[in-house]
Amino acid sequence: MGSKLADKKRKSRESDSESGDELANGLFDGVLSQSEDEEDYVPSDDADEEEDADESGSEGTDDSEDNGEDDDILSDDIPSDIDGEEEMNRLVKQQGELEITEPGVDPKPKEEDDNGEKNYRIEKDANGGIRYVYDEIDPVYDSDDTDAQGPVNTIGNIPLSFYDSYPHIGYDINGKKIMRPAAGDALQSLLDSIEVPKGWTGLTDVNTGNPLNLSQEELELVRRVQMGLLPDDLQDPYPDTVEWFTSKEEIMPLSSAPEPKRRFVPSKNEAKQIMKLVRAIREGRILPYKPPEEREREEEEKEEAHFDLWQNEEPQAPNPMHIPAPKLPPPGYDLSYNPPEEYLPTKEEREEWEKADPEDREKEYLPQKYNALRKVPAYGNLVKERFERCMDLYLAPRVRKNRLNIDPNSLLPKLPSPSELKPFPTVVQTIFRGHEGRVRSVAVDPTGVALATGGDDGTVRVWELLTGRQVWSVRLSSDEPVNTVRWRPTKDSFILAAAVGEDIFLMVPTHASVTPALDQASRDVLAAGFGYATNGQQQTLPAGKEPPAKWARPGTKLEDEGVLIRITVRTTVKVINWHRRGDHFATVSPTGQRSSVAIHTLSKHLTQIPFRKLSGLAQTAAFHPLRPLFFVATQRTIRCYDLQKLELVKIVQPGAKWISSFDIHPGGDNLIVGSYDKRLLWHDLDLSNRPYKTMRFHSEAIRQVRYHKGGLPLFADASDDGTLQIFHGKVPNDQLENPTIIPVKMLKGHKVINKLGVLDIDWHPREPWCVSAGADGTARLWM
Amino acid sequence: MGKIKKKGQAGQAKNYITRTQAIKKLQISLPDFRKLCIWKGIYPREPRNRKKVSKSATASTTFYYTKDIQYLLHEPLLQKFREQKVLEKKISRALGRGDVSDAARLERNAAHPEKTGKPRYTLNHVIRERYPTFIDALRDLDDCLSMLFLFANLPSTTAVPAKMIARCERLCLEFQHYLIVSHSLRKSFLSIKGIYYQANIQGEDILWLVPYKFNQRIVGDIDFRIMGTFVEFYMTLLGFVNYRLYTSVGLKYPPKFDQLKDDQGAELGAFALEGVNLATNGETKAITNGEAERGPDPKVQAEVDKLVQQLRDESNGEKADEGSPADEADGEENPSDAIDKFEPVAPGGDVLPQPSYSSSDPSQLFSKFTFYLSRETPRQPLEFILRAFGCKRIGWDSVLGEGAFTTDESDPSITHQIVDRPVVRAAVSGEGDGEDNQTAQKLGPNHRYPGRVYVQPQWVWDSINDEELKSPELYAPGAALPPHLSPFVKPTQGQYDPTIPLEEQQTEREAIDAELEDANQEQQEGEESEVENDMDVASEEGGEEEEEDGEDGDFGGFSEGEEEEEEEGSEDEEESATLQRQRELEAEISGKSVQGNKKVDAKTKAKLEAKKALERKKRQEAEDLERAKGMLSKKKRKLFEQMQYTNNKKSAEDMKLRAKRRKLEKERAQKT
Repeated sequence: MGSKLADKKRKSRESDSESGDELANGLFDGVLSQSEDEEDYVPSDDADEEEDADESGSEGTDDSEDNGEDDDILSDDIPSDIDGEEEMNRLVKQQGELEITEPGVDPKPKEEDDNGEKNYRIEKDANGGIRYVYDEIDPVYDSDDTDAQGPVNTIGNIPLSFYDSYPHIGYDINGKKIMRPAAGDALQSLLDSIEVPKGWTGLTDVNTGNPLNLSQEELELVRRVQMGLLPDDLQDPYPDTVEWFTSKEEIMPLSSAPEPKRRFVPSKNEAKQIMKLVRAIREGRILPYKPPEEREREEEEKEEAHFDLWQNEEPQAPNPMHIPAPKLPPPGYDLSYNPPEEYLPTKEEREEWEKADPEDREKEYLPQKYNALRKVPAYGNLVKERFERCMDLYLAPRVRKNRLNIDPNSLLPKLPSPSELKPFPTVVQTIFRGHEGRVRSVAVDPTGVALATGGDDGTVRVWELLTGRQVWSVRLSSDEPVNTVRWRPTKDSFILAAAVGEDIFLMVPTHASVTPALDQASRDVLAAGFGYATNGQQQTLPAGKEPPAKWARPGTKLEDEGVLIRITVRTTVKVINWHRRGDHFATVSPTGQRSSVAIHTLSKHLTQIPFRKLSGLAQTAAFHPLRPLFFVATQRTIRCYDLQKLELVKIVQPGAKWISSFDIHPGGDNLIVGSYDKRLLWHDLDLSNRPYKTMRFHSEAIRQVRYHKGGLPLFADASDDGTLQIFHGKVPNDQLENPTIIPVKMLKGHKVINKLGVLDIDWHPREPWCVSAGADGTARLWM
Repeated sequence: MGKIKKKGQAGQAKNYITRTQAIKKLQISLPDFRKLCIWKGIYPREPRNRKKVSKSATASTTFYYTKDIQYLLHEPLLQKFREQKVLEKKISRALGRGDVSDAARLERNAAHPEKTGKPRYTLNHVIRERYPTFIDALRDLDDCLSMLFLFANLPSTTAVPAKMIARCERLCLEFQHYLIVSHSLRKSFLSIKGIYYQANIQGEDILWLVPYKFNQRIVGDIDFRIMGTFVEFYMTLLGFVNYRLYTSVGLKYPPKFDQLKDDQGAELGAFALEGVNLATNGETKAITNGEAERGPDPKVQAEVDKLVQQLRDESNGEKADEGSPADEADGEENPSDAIDKFEPVAPGGDVLPQPSYSSSDPSQLFSKFTFYLSRETPRQPLEFILRAFGCKRIGWDSVLGEGAFTTDESDPSITHQIVDRPVVRAAVSGEGDGEDNQTAQKLGPNHRYPGRVYVQPQWVWDSINDEELKSPELYAPGAALPPHLSPFVKPTQGQYDPTIPLEEQQTEREAIDAELEDANQEQQEGEESEVENDMDVASEEGGEEEEEDGEDGDFGGFSEGEEEEEEEGSEDEEESATLQRQRELEAEISGKSVQGNKKVDAKTKAKLEAKKALERKKRQEAEDLERAKGMLSKKKRKLFEQMQYTNNKKSAEDMKLRAKRRKLEKERAQKT
């Protein structure tokens, strides 16, 4: 502001000077005119204002009318008389507001102006020509533009000397020339120097070319700055505070309420806080400050508190689920630094140990011997071992293992010594050689003198049992093997049955022990059925149906040899079993479906097929030694039928996969079963359908099982592994006692050929001797 | 129809919990879980059926009892772990913000067990929980002692702070002091792994292993954090056990510890035991460090000690004297604390075991002696053992550390000197003298003080194990030592025992074999000396063959087939018969009387026959066994076979040992 004022002052002075200076008059015309313009401008402004006022007045009338209308509208509420003045005020206000809202930009009055009077003057220019001088257009920014500082040179940052040859020194914002201020001549300057105006500096304003004079305030400012004082002229930058309210003590209290208790009673809460601290200090939770190093040192020095942890110990029953860690075994002799020499490993042992993987080693150290203690080195694995122990302690699952610390022999059952179990066969007595190929079947005759064998060569041979001499032989077939031979079990005859293919031959061999009477008796037994058979057959056979078997004479050639009857059935017969009286015998041909089991009656030459249907393939069949029962073994089960009532009595289930053979104890209540899956099963028929004992001593299939029929508690089985096993199997008379079964002997001697070992066995009727038939073409007598 | 049962909702699946699940349930990290398991003594369990237990398809490896984990849930330590975790989180967060001073402050507050060896938590309650009675704690002390003694000998590393080692060492020494005072050390054994000690405290046998004083080699990947966790627990345990033991013998715990002495390597001597009350004070002090304390003037001390010793002996003698007449004049009851010996009056009654009431107390085995340890002997174990067995005066070379009764080898009071160096020949000794100067011993290496017993260290061990003083000649310096046997092996019937002569323990068969072999050898030698008659080659061969056969039978046990034996038997007979026949024939041909040989033959023949009989018997037995085995059920048979297997293995080992010994004995006999 100060500078502006200064400008104005200067201007006025200049104008003064101009008046004196005529020479420059022409030159400064423009300038003057300009100032005149300015001067003109102000009144015009006033005129505008006046006009505005007029307009507002006119408008005000409108407004008033409007207001009147408003009043009409509002007249219901307020009486208009009273508010006359107020209304006027309001109108004025409204006008003001209008002016503010439309700050004289209303174009209409301007146009009127244009129309009314010219907005230019005609003047003569320097050349004497007409020149229209227009009024300054007022942009009416209506802003308190403090930046607009009169004429400011706009030539930018170029030296002013460029304009030395011109009358002007640049242009203002409006593009008007800024004329060069008159440079006083020497005299003037002298005068100036003599009569120094206030604030004269002798400098020239670069922008305007005018001499730069400083105003009083500016000079004061400069002075203050030079003095190092605040530039602003304040009386006292730091005045004392005036305590307006507390300087005076009030006599009367602001409130008449009585003094509250909390003002004079000590605070409970604070007391609490303090007590807390006190307690903490007492208990040592809060310690007086110490430098950290010192405190650390103290802590280190502080001993760990020890006390009797087990002062009031109470023994507790150990948790049953808790298994205490096992202790490490104490060191043995071999861990000594100086062990007995036998504990040292040999070279091979050492090598083996070194070669083995560390995990495979039985001991993780090798015994070593040092002859003096000073030579003992550190043990390298000690830390590792300890670490492993630690790992075991925390990571190894513990399992309680009940170690039976007993003599293993105490597990073994107490068996009677073999000498008490004697007699039983132990060694081979006779070997019967003669058959070509396998011997398939053996049978000892009821008197115990002769032995009959049948083999793959199709012959049936009869031997003297004790000497092994062959006494009789017949070739029944040239191509088919003799599957089985069986003696008729009565002593009044000497009849042998043999099965070859589909044929069953009944024969009376010649033998030294056979007296002619016996021979004749035998022949009579066989022949007796012929007459009877023809009659019976013709009667019973239904027409058109093939008989189950044909009984016939085998032909003269065989008859001369002693073979008297040939029975032909439908399929290959594998098993023959006589009834104890010798009148019936059962044959089994496993491949024959319906007719697999047949019962033949010798006295009638009759063959019957007892079963219409059989569940499973029949393997073998036998008569009960005492009662009229008939046993048929299929692959899995043994069925027992009552022959009188013709009904099923019992089904025995040995549990074997494939039964090969079975035999009934002479007492009739026990049964042994041999199976192709290597099992020998003892059944107590009274006890259960399941086996009483299962014996698995063979490594191959069991082919044949046999009880001793002559009163000795023995039984034997024959297996494909080439052995016979003899068991002592005593069946007590007392019903409540269980039979005792004791393995007695393993008889080895037969060779295994084509995975076939011993094929058949038979016991001597009285003596503890047994005969076995082997696939190696021999039969052996064991005694 | 019942509710459909879901898998993993009941039964075994509920009883077991995998490790991951357990960690999740406890909301702690795996290392913290590990710590907790180690301290609380919780270990994994092996479920009967893994498949039923695991809920996931993948096979889990470690299962715990759910109940065990539930029990862990209430552990106060869990809270400490969590606090520690929070603190660590705070520190890391402060560091992440760059607030170093804050982090440092928090760090200062944090416990640093690895630095100070002291955590913020204590394990007292855990120990009380795991060992409800003191006896329980003693029972579990084996691992504790082994571990602490090992750590006391480890070098300090970042994983094993020096503080921890120092503490382990102190605890161990304190424990040793108790053993010395209470004379409860029983046995010790020098093994290749270290020295085993066995003590009997309150009826519990405690066995532990102390490594030799060498730098321990650390091989393989050993996680010292796990071991450190164990050691932390064991340290606390042994501290409390020591307290209890000390107070039980009327001593104050912890004993006074002299840092200066310890720095000079006094070890046991750095501790001064104090009695709890004044009455016991003087005595206990005298027990432990009577002489070790007063190092400066050993001679005076020795004299004093001698006097004291004499006095004590006299008093002992008096006591004994008093005792003996009292015993003799025991017509009227003389009440005493000693156990009475029960003698069976009439035969037929059972003999009950009774503690031995021997006149000589093994704990005072060395009480009358003064020992001197040469500088090459291991000082620590010897000092400990000698003290534990009543020795009061032990001197050693000054290089072995502080705390000796005397460091002067020439001290006249020394009765025994333990030496572990070879005998040097005189010529060498002259040269060696110059080098030996630094030990300030002006004596030749072979110099012996008269009237002193020189023994090797093993003498001490063998003496205490047998509870009698062994004859020192066997253990003289340079002598070949008798074998050092483990005192922990309990002789069982039928097992090889190196202390018993071979003849007493070998089986009949082995004896016969051995004799046969001997005979053969003699024969061979005889032949070589007199005639080159190859007549006996056959017999020899036969003998050997048989021997082999026999051995086969032995090793194969009963698994062998019987047929072989059957045939063998017959063949044997045949063979012998043919042999005989051949011999006769040859004799005829050569036309010589083979009397001399025949004598030997007769002898060997008898032997052969005996052997054959033996074999037959054996075969018989095998057959019987086979029959009996056949009668067993499958399960029992398997069990039987397993037992048989282990027995056979053991007996095979024993047999090997016997064979080796026989060979060695023969060699020795040949040499002499």
